[in-house]
Amino acid sequence: MTRVLICDDDIMIGEALHDVLTAESDLAVVAIAHTASDAIDLAERHLPDIVVLDVRMPGGGGIRVARELRDRCPTTRVVAFSAYADPATVAEMRRAGVTEYLVKGVPNTDIVATVRRLARGPFGKL
Amino acid sequence: MVHSGPMPNPPRRRPVDRMPESAFQLLVEGVVDYAIFMLDPDGHVASWNSGAERIKGYRADDILGRHFSTFYPPEDIAAGKPDRELEIAIAEGRLEDEGWRLRKDGSRFWANVVITALFDATGDLRGFGKVTRDMTERRRAEQALLERRRLVHHLVEAQELERRRIAWDVHDDSIQSMVAVGMRLQLLADRVPEEHVATVTRLDQAVRSAVERLRMLVFRLRPPEIDRNGLVAALEEYLGDVAPMWDLAHAVRDELEREPPVDTAITIFRICQEALTNVHKHARATAVEITLSTVDRGTLVVIADDGIGISLTRDHQAGLEHFGMIEMRERAETAGGWWTLGIRPEGGTAVRFWLPTTSDTA
Repeated sequence: MTRVLICDDDIMIGEALHDVLTAESDLAVVAIAHTASDAIDLAERHLPDIVVLDVRMPGGGGIRVARELRDRCPTTRVVAFSAYADPATVAEMRRAGVTEYLVKGVPNTDIVATVRRLARGPFGKL
Repeated sequence: MVHSGPMPNPPRRRPVDRMPESAFQLLVEGVVDYAIFMLDPDGHVASWNSGAERIKGYRADDILGRHFSTFYPPEDIAAGKPDRELEIAIAEGRLEDEGWRLRKDGSRFWANVVITALFDATGDLRGFGKVTRDMTERRRAEQALLERRRLVHHLVEAQELERRRIAWDVHDDSIQSMVAVGMRLQLLADRVPEEHVATVTRLDQAVRSAVERLRMLVFRLRPPEIDRNGLVAALEEYLGDVAPMWDLAHAVRDELEREPPVDTAITIFRICQEALTNVHKHARATAVEITLSTVDRGTLVVIADDGIGISLTRDHQAGLEHFGMIEMRERAETAGGWWTLGIRPEGGTAVRFWLPTTSDTA
């Protein structure tokens, strides 16, 4: 079972992501965080396999979360799930330790496939 | 000027009788557009003409013998300006000044004043010649122009601020909500009975294409990065982003002799955006070219496409393009410029507009 933490300040997106992921029998959602600080706390508490992380969030945004998780939860891998697709944001998230980058609006199947691929991957973070 | 050929013979002068001084006096007295009068060495009015009477409101009897500081507002008198001006005229031969002066009725007018010190053959100061022009109307026109520039500046700033706010709202609210709706519709498609799957899938596709359109709107609303690389680079970058999506070959021809100030550049960028959207939506063009040049102390922009021309588009007749056109024209005219739309002889449409340079320093 792959354990996933969802971090998104938009409640509707958070809930939709929850329902998309929990519809899969091999995926479990451990918690939904709505701020950067909550995301870091919940990640440390649950040590999820995967964090699905929004870029713009109160409390320092996804960039801060990704950087902190790199040190605090080294086994957790991070997928960015963002409305921003501009190269500068993507590059910044990548540098912060984000392994995959999904633009909001991709089909649910892409989200699920990406989470599974990351959970499977033996390779470490960037 | 340098002449390389033989000099032409100068025209023959007609001999004239030297005019008597009284004739010259008649000329000076008759001039109504300028106040032309003399001061004695201490600054008292020693002569008067029709122009002086018209501009300053004093008749000769009222003013002859009075000190010329009468024409200055109290703050200038307190600052010792009248005496200082005479001193400068004596030291340097002449003085030119622009400033407020008083009429007989106490009202103010904006004057251009030239005071010339007059010395006789022995070098003694005999007095001053004073020529005053009423520049109130010109100053008013200049002030109105400045005021207009300030207003245009505020307007452009307010428009950009509003666009940014709308872009944030659409991006952070509308798009997010619709993405969530789309995700739920996809989940629903897996759960509804077979006969409803197609409907739900169509709904999801509709939502997804609406999200794409909203993203394009946000892209169009975002502020152009004119500050960083200038107008031409901002237009090239914008065209580089949208033209491939619209299957348009594109070029930006830079014939600018100087970069327009930021306000003007933003207005130009926004009008170009609107014109390019029209090309994409209505022209059925394969290529578009933007040419920017410096003309008549302003910037001339031509956006030419090779499409079907305005008269043939159905949308135009339906008035659907109208709003974009009104917006473009209003933007140009508010900034003190003009805007036209025409059919090119070689086919296609050309939007032309010109905006004055609104910077005070340019």
